[in-house]
Amino acid sequence: MINLTAVLSQSSAPADLPAAVRAALGKPLRRAAPLTQLALVGALACLPSERRQLPTALLWQSTSGPRLETLTLLDEVCSGSAEPMPYDFLATQPAIAAAQIQSFLPGLQTATHLPLDSEGSANWSLLLSLAIIWLDEGRCAQVLCAQLDHTADAASGHWLALSRAPLENSLAGLHLAQDTASEQLHDRLPDTPDVPSRLADWLARNDNATLSLQSPAAMRRTVEFTRL
Amino acid sequence: MTRPVFIAKTALFCARGDSPATVASALWNGECSAGQRKLGERAFPYFGLPLDEANWIVRAEQALRQVAGQLGPLPPETPLFIASSSFQIGHFEQLGAPFDLPLATASFSQKIGEWMGLNGAKYSFSNACISGFSALDAARSLIAAGLIDDAIVLGVELANDSTLAGFAAMELLSRTAGRPFDARRDGLVLGEAVAAVHLSAKPATWRIAGLRTGLDGYSTTGPNPDGSRIADVTVNCLNDANLKATDIELIKLQAAGSPATDLAEANALRSVFGQRMPPLISLKPGLGHTLGASGVAELAALLACLDADKIPATAGFSKVDPEIALFPMVERSTEHIERALLNLIGFGGGLASLIVERHG
Repeated sequence: MINLTAVLSQSSAPADLPAAVRAALGKPLRRAAPLTQLALVGALACLPSERRQLPTALLWQSTSGPRLETLTLLDEVCSGSAEPMPYDFLATQPAIAAAQIQSFLPGLQTATHLPLDSEGSANWSLLLSLAIIWLDEGRCAQVLCAQLDHTADAASGHWLALSRAPLENSLAGLHLAQDTASEQLHDRLPDTPDVPSRLADWLARNDNATLSLQSPAAMRRTVEFTRL
Repeated sequence: MTRPVFIAKTALFCARGDSPATVASALWNGECSAGQRKLGERAFPYFGLPLDEANWIVRAEQALRQVAGQLGPLPPETPLFIASSSFQIGHFEQLGAPFDLPLATASFSQKIGEWMGLNGAKYSFSNACISGFSALDAARSLIAAGLIDDAIVLGVELANDSTLAGFAAMELLSRTAGRPFDARRDGLVLGEAVAAVHLSAKPATWRIAGLRTGLDGYSTTGPNPDGSRIADVTVNCLNDANLKATDIELIKLQAAGSPATDLAEANALRSVFGQRMPPLISLKPGLGHTLGASGVAELAALLACLDADKIPATAGFSKVDPEIALFPMVERSTEHIERALLNLIGFGGGLASLIVERHG
């Protein structure tokens, strides 16, 4: 059984992100795109300082991705002088977010970014399945799963932190259960970007002992949360 | 539950050919000519797909359908793992301003699924140059754990000015040719590819014995020159495969001709393999650096070479860099290889190593 150690949903105006970063680090993070700032603020909020050295994997998905930055780049490349400002190109590369936050999260060993192909859907089922498999096989001590998005008006980060070892403050257990789609014994959480806040609601209620996450038909097992 | 994961089939369409076997044959014959792509006042060598179609989206469909044809009929519900660093940005460049980008970054993946006749789960990966191995890692993990039995892992990188311009702006591109590990290396040469790997729980000739990814936050554009993080990932991969360094018979380098990254990779290899360095090859002088597709494309090309027992020489290498002091194979070889290591080192800090091993 893997342990759910943090459930977090953050939202802010994009203009407030630098201040949130300063509050988290005690200093500004220079040349960081909004997705990097979101990743940093969320990851540090999920992991107390004593756990930031532990071998960690980051799996994050995004609907928006660096859409605004890509629009800027397209404008420079197609309407400008052909070669963009280097930072404007770097800001379109989501993989860079993990590299930029590694110095504040020294245990961060690997990161995977999964852009989403439609609005309103998410891949929490895949992220959590991979996290459970990797933690079970001992690949890392903890996995951060996130959905990060930003538009001109809003920035949001939804986070789940998972640990192989049980912690004093573990919120729930989770594992891969045989998918019995025909059985409706308990709630089944739709795989949408806000899974963490829905999960927080379930944790706050004290009803069903387990909660399953919807998974694609091809998956033989589904992620199941269990109250501790 | 954990079970071995096999490579049931591969497909590849790139500048060197329209199947893994034709690409392997071209590489064996030393073919490494590139075309050119203009960017304002400057022109760069570029490995484009041999397609005349000018409309970006029609051309993309042709390339994807070509690769789907190589894979043959598949159950439509087969999960699809798509790796790309640029998706359909070239399409929006062609449409011009105002740029009507979709709200979901990877909406192109839906189109890809349609073209490939796959309507099951689709997952997209954008991890710069290691995107392909990130996608393989996810698919392999699910198969090994028994969640799925088969998966198609697709690498797609199609021509666009944005990527070329971004790399050019950072002075990462060569104006002449990619020269892996060579003293005269002066940058990357980019290219296009569409490639696919059908992973399966059913036994086949090759299995993925090990696969690990990593991260080097030394800088956003290159790894720590000491190669320590790259070495860690390679060692993790060897451990995953339950192999020793001496078990590896061939290394497919990342080496793209980048002054800094090639040095970091060489330092990593020296620390892992010491004096018993296996033969080294780079496929990038023949294929170009196909970025998000490179992992899948180079895996498909390498396996075709190994299936034929024809390991090509590395084009573009002739002068040893004393700082690197390693050199890729300059003579072709017909050595029969049982186990090979493939390295990827990504722009943006991503690292990955993969080991393939013959089965049975």
